Amino acid sequence: MKTIRLYALMGALIFLTTASLPLWAASDTFREEIYHMGTLKPVDSVPKLKVGDHAPGFTLMSTSGSPVSLKDYAGKKNVVISFVPAAWTQVCSDQWPGYNIAQEEFESLDATLIGITVDNVPTLYAWTRAMGTLWFPVLSDFWPHGKVAEAYGVLRSNGTSERAIFIIDKKGVIRFIDVHDINRRPPLEDILNALEKLNR
Amino acid sequence: MKKHLLILSLLCVFPVWALAADTDFGKAITQARLKVPEDAGVRSFLGIRQKSGQMSLADIDAEIIIVEIFSMYCPYCQKHAPMTNALHQAIEAGSDTRGKVKLIGIGVGNSPFEVKFFQKKYGILFPLFDDANSAVLNSLTGIRTPYYFGIRRNGTTLQTFFSRQGAFDDPQAFLKTVLEKSGQP
Repeated sequence: MKTIRLYALMGALIFLTTASLPLWAASDTFREEIYHMGTLKPVDSVPKLKVGDHAPGFTLMSTSGSPVSLKDYAGKKNVVISFVPAAWTQVCSDQWPGYNIAQEEFESLDATLIGITVDNVPTLYAWTRAMGTLWFPVLSDFWPHGKVAEAYGVLRSNGTSERAIFIIDKKGVIRFIDVHDINRRPPLEDILNALEKLNR
Repeated sequence: MKKHLLILSLLCVFPVWALAADTDFGKAITQARLKVPEDAGVRSFLGIRQKSGQMSLADIDAEIIIVEIFSMYCPYCQKHAPMTNALHQAIEAGSDTRGKVKLIGIGVGNSPFEVKFFQKKYGILFPLFDDANSAVLNSLTGIRTPYYFGIRRNGTTLQTFFSRQGAFDDPQAFLKTVLEKSGQP
């Protein structure tokens, strides 16, 4: 009887171990460099903004060494902000390279893209270089740590950001918010569909 | 007690080990369920009789199926796209391979939109399948893309005889290797 109980207990442990494994397939581009975070709480922040709110302004340093401000795009382009949690992690590393081949689609919808993480510039520089040449700026929200993520209500309790998309129109008004399950990648079509809707 | 602990320790280690093992990836891919292509031309090329619903690799009319596991989001897969087209063209150009060997791609964790986007962006000439519900991704968790499988018929079942992680430089040499490994050069 003890043996049966022991096996049942261990069987349950095995089930729980395997059932909680995250789904991922990393690009071979990054080889063994990717850090696996495991399965995380899907969302770990409290929303501060809603569609229709004015987007909080910011100026952050980009990986090219120049500062980039949201106001640079005012009256010129719709802006898609893609917050990703952390450099060199599995889902994040397989997100922006997909957006990188959709420049034409973004531009045809009168939009540009900005990537933001809470990592520092050197880390972001090395990580994005591994992706190839990105057509959009990647900004560091490292110091004051996560200040922009906090303003957008997407700073998680461990200091990383959510995996979130904000679309801001030319007037600086938020028109789309997707604070996505951090363990999953938001599909490209969700962004393009939201931009199409904005252009109607 | 020691015997039980030893057995149970091995059982605990097994699932993680199994997920990482090429042989298990090879078995998993033969069990993949895919959506029947909407395009009649693609169905005709693959020899699929069904017009809708789900299909398996066994439904493809070929002696050898080469499967590329890719993702629209994978920089290597993007860069390597012309090479995979060249592989398809090499297969179609060979009198001993045309109709017998077929190349397909599965965009793991990719939606139908993302796969169509990739296909159009890179002018992919061979059939690509999406993995909208992440079922294939789930069965291949931990794999690095691109990844290739060579699968042959073994009676009524499929058998994976070849796997490779990472891109190849020479499509002709890659095809030759696959054919040699298949035992049907």
